[in-house]
Amino acid sequence: MHPAAPAIELRAFTKTYGRATGVDRLTVTVETGEVFGFLGPNGAGKTTTLRTLTGLLRPTSGQVRVLGLDPVADHRRLAPRLGYLPGELRLYPELTGSQTLGLLGDLQGVPTPRRAELCERLALSAADLARPVREYSRGMKQKIGLVQALQHDPELVVLDEPSEGLDPLVQETFFALLKETAAAGRTVLLSSHVLPEVQRACGRVAIVRSGRLVTVQTVAALREARARRVRLVLEDGHGPRPLGAAEAWSPAWNRGEVRLLIPPEDLVSALRELLAALPVTDLTVEEAGLEEAFLDLYRAGEAGPGTTNRTMPGTKTEAQL
Amino acid sequence: MRSRFPLFWLALHRRRRMLAYLAAGMVLFETLMVVVSRAVPPAQLLGGEVNAAPGAFQAFSGSTGDVSLASYPGLLGAGLVHPLWIALQLTAIGSLAAAAVAADLESGTIELLITRPISRARLLAERGAAIVAASVLLNAAATVTLAVGIAASPTLHRAVSLSGVVAAGLLGCCLTLCLTGPALAVSAAGRRRAQVLGATIAFGAVGFALNFIAMAWSKARPLRYLSPFHYYTPGDALAHAHLPWASAAVLLAVGMAGVVAAFPLLNHRDLAP
Repeated sequence: MHPAAPAIELRAFTKTYGRATGVDRLTVTVETGEVFGFLGPNGAGKTTTLRTLTGLLRPTSGQVRVLGLDPVADHRRLAPRLGYLPGELRLYPELTGSQTLGLLGDLQGVPTPRRAELCERLALSAADLARPVREYSRGMKQKIGLVQALQHDPELVVLDEPSEGLDPLVQETFFALLKETAAAGRTVLLSSHVLPEVQRACGRVAIVRSGRLVTVQTVAALREARARRVRLVLEDGHGPRPLGAAEAWSPAWNRGEVRLLIPPEDLVSALRELLAALPVTDLTVEEAGLEEAFLDLYRAGEAGPGTTNRTMPGTKTEAQL
Repeated sequence: MRSRFPLFWLALHRRRRMLAYLAAGMVLFETLMVVVSRAVPPAQLLGGEVNAAPGAFQAFSGSTGDVSLASYPGLLGAGLVHPLWIALQLTAIGSLAAAAVAADLESGTIELLITRPISRARLLAERGAAIVAASVLLNAAATVTLAVGIAASPTLHRAVSLSGVVAAGLLGCCLTLCLTGPALAVSAAGRRRAQVLGATIAFGAVGFALNFIAMAWSKARPLRYLSPFHYYTPGDALAHAHLPWASAAVLLAVGMAGVVAAFPLLNHRDLAP
C-alpha cells in the first residue's frame, strides 16, 4: 500500500437489497492512523457499510477500497491485516473462550502476540477462558470479541457497537486500548449509535441516516457548533402558539414556557424576532449538549433539502466530499 | 482444535456426539440384521438366487438384478437399504451439510469466519470434507459390523464373501456422496439449516420412494433412473462380490455435480447474517 493512501475509501458506495436501499451513494475517506466514528441510529446503514468493508457483502455499485485493496477480490491479502468485531457477536456456544480465541487465531493465519495481554487487561481469567461460551454473559462475550479483533495487532480495526454490554470499568480499558491502537499508527473505524462513545474515542465522525451521509466533521467542530438551548417564559401562560420562522427550531412547549434549540449563527436574529413577537418575562440561553446537537442535526436532515442551510459550521456535506 | 484444517475439525468437533450416536446406532442395527439373517435356516429361505419375490421387494433388498429378499445377500442387503439405515445417513449428511454454510449464516457465526483470510472455496472444501469423513465413518461402521458378523457365521460366509461386503460398503460411500453434493449446494445457497435438512431428507426419501414405485408399477419403470437408489444396489454387491462401477460412477457424478454447483453459488452471494 502506498504510505499516503487512505485506510478506507468509499466512493458513491451503494448497497441495495432487491428494491430496498441499504446504503445510498456513500462517499467517505478514512486516513491511516485515524480513529473514525460512524454514527447513526439503528437501520442507518452502518452495519451494511462495515460488512462491505470486511468483504461479507458486495457493493451494488461504487468503489470500496480498504488498505488500498478490494475487500472481496483481495480478501485473502486484506483479511490478515484486519480486525473485526461484529455488532451482534455470535460465537460457537460449545467452544470454550480459549478454544474460540485459538480457532479464530488459527483462521487469521498470523501470530497473535497480544492475546494474553488483552485477556489480562479485559479481566478474562484462565478460569473464564476454560468455560464454554454458552455460559458467558453478554459482557464476557463482548470481551472475547474485542480480544479476537485485536489479538493479531491488525493495521485496521473495524468495530461495530464495541462497548455494548461492557461494564464501566471495562469500558475504560477499552477506550485506553483504542487510544493505544491509534498511537501505534493503526486505524480504527468505530460504528455506534451512542454519541458519547464516538465523542470520546474519535477524531472525526461521519453521521449517516437512512443509508445516506448527513455530514462528516471533526468531533471538535461538532462540539463547537453545538446549538444553543433557549428557554422563554411567557407572561400570559397561554401555552402553544404559532412561532413563525422559529417553528424550525424544534419548539417544546410546557404551558407558558417554550424551549428551542437554535444554531449559534441564527441565535441573535431568532431571539430578536421572538422577543418582539412574544410577551417574554424570562429568558435563559445555554449551550446544548452534544447529544442534542446531534439530534438537531438529524432533525435538520429529516426536514428535507430545504433546510440543509442549517448544517453546522465546519461541516462537510455529502456534496462537498 | 487442530490448527491445520480448523474448519474441518470444528465441523466434526461440534457434532462429535451426534456422530458417535449415529455410528453406534449403525453398529447395533447391522448387528441386528446379521443376527436376524443367521436365525433364518437356509431351508426356510424362498430361494437364494431365484427371483421368487415380487419385483418391488427388490427395492428392499438393495438389488436391481437377480437377488431376492429371500436370500442371505438379500436379507443382509436389506440392512443396507433399510429406512433406518437411510435415516441415519441422512441425519449425518443433512446436519453436516447444514453446518457447512447455512447454519453459520443463520446463527451469525459466519461473520467471524469469513472476515478471516479464508476463501469461500476453502470454507466449502473443509466443510465438505467433514461430511465425507462422517459418511465414511458411518459406512465403515456398517461395513465392519457386517464383515465381522459374516466372518463369525459359516452359513452367512458361504453365501456372502467379505469382498462383497467391502463392495457394498464402497457403494454405500458412493450413495452418501451422491446425497452430499446436492445438500452442500443447498447449504451454499441457503440461509436456514432447516432448508438444508429438508432438501436432504426430501432428496433421500423421494429418491427411495421413486425407486420403489418404479419397481412396483411397470408404467413408472423409466422413473427409476432418476432415483439414486436405483444405482445403490448393496444386495447385488453382496451376492456377486463386486462393485458395480457404472452405478458407482453415476452416484459419484451426481454428488460431484452438486459439489461443483456449490462453489459458484457460494462465491456469488452475500454472506452477512
